[in-house]
Amino acid sequence: MTADEILIEHMMNPQNYGKLENPDAVGMGKNPQNGEKVAIYLEVEKQDDPLITDIAFQAIGCTTTIVSGSIITSEAKDIHFSRAEELVSTTLGMLEGQSPEDAACTEMVALALKAALDTYEKRREDAEFPMISYHITTDCTPKDEVEDKEK
Amino acid sequence: MRVLFSEIHEVWLATQFTGFMTKRESRQELYEFSNILFKHLTWLENDFIKNGIDYSYDIKQVPIRVTELSHMLNNIIVRLETIESMLNRCNDEHIVFRMQSDIEYIKSALQKMPDESVEECFSAKKLYPNVPLTDKARDALTIFLFEESYKEYELIMVYNYSKANSDDAFLNRIFQILVDESFFHLRSFGEMMAEMGILGVPRSLMEEIYKFDDLKEFLKNGILEEIGAKEECKKLADAVSQSSEHFASFFTFINNQENYHIALMEEALAYINNKK
Repeated sequence: MTADEILIEHMMNPQNYGKLENPDAVGMGKNPQNGEKVAIYLEVEKQDDPLITDIAFQAIGCTTTIVSGSIITSEAKDIHFSRAEELVSTTLGMLEGQSPEDAACTEMVALALKAALDTYEKRREDAEFPMISYHITTDCTPKDEVEDKEK
Repeated sequence: MRVLFSEIHEVWLATQFTGFMTKRESRQELYEFSNILFKHLTWLENDFIKNGIDYSYDIKQVPIRVTELSHMLNNIIVRLETIESMLNRCNDEHIVFRMQSDIEYIKSALQKMPDESVEECFSAKKLYPNVPLTDKARDALTIFLFEESYKEYELIMVYNYSKANSDDAFLNRIFQILVDESFFHLRSFGEMMAEMGILGVPRSLMEEIYKFDDLKEFLKNGILEEIGAKEECKKLADAVSQSSEHFASFFTFINNQENYHIALMEEALAYINNKK
């Protein structure tokens, strides 16, 4: 499969889209600029380094968000939290090369995963701890629109 | 009852999207059946509301990637049989009778539909028959179709929910027109997606999309979104105009239709403002 075919595949058939019935943790990534958001649901097996046994996501966002959600949640399934933290860091480290719109969508998904991991950790100490939400910092205004405004 | 509701929602989408796959006369029949199944959804929804039962539009993903049309037709029949086995969960015997009768007929009609290969609807080739498109136009069209097919599904459900939960005749007339308009657009885009080999059922909706508190705010945002959609159509018409006069005029037509949607939403907004 070419990269283009893989992307189309995620658009036609996003993986892990939806809710989990009884999640152990939920996290939210939000774009305060336009109200878009991603929720990630985790089912976790208790261990010193907990294991993500199931994962799902829902989004109010564009196709890029759905593709990012599909790819990142597929990567995060059946891995331990330590590896999931690395996945978040690696994803956030790769934003620079992307267009502002794509970077914002990817950041939103990565932060939703981070929020879900952090919520789970907090709930190990306090079962009533509320769901964590993180806001993205990437400005998703397309470059051509920024240039138009500056003129 | 909620499981029955989501089963009907899923079979409605399965039937609608199977309609996009076929190029034969069966398409029209499948469109009619999907209309009937959507009506079933609204009957159950009204029953929920009448009895004060909370409900949602949550559904599981609806897989449709098949090689032969008959695979989907059989899948729809199985889904309908599952629904039949659950009809006793609905207490309204009139609804049950009508649904049972419709389902029996739909099942018998589906069994007689001719088979055909539908593999091409999922080939991801991104080519439109007899329309040469540049790579840029093809990519723009692909993204547009994914974005807008979801958007039209979302609008159908949002306006349907608003209509079901309102007893204001003036607003309900507008909501119904907007539902009908979105059906037309969804069908136009779905047929194009099947032609380009990129057919997929839209993802399920987050509850807060249709369960909103402030209709005025929703309409205001909706108008802004329609203006954005107009811009997208205009950009797309420009992008494909060099390659295809047919597409360029189609997207100009869709763009102009958005004016009507904006006018309807403005009418609803003015009505709400005057009411207060």
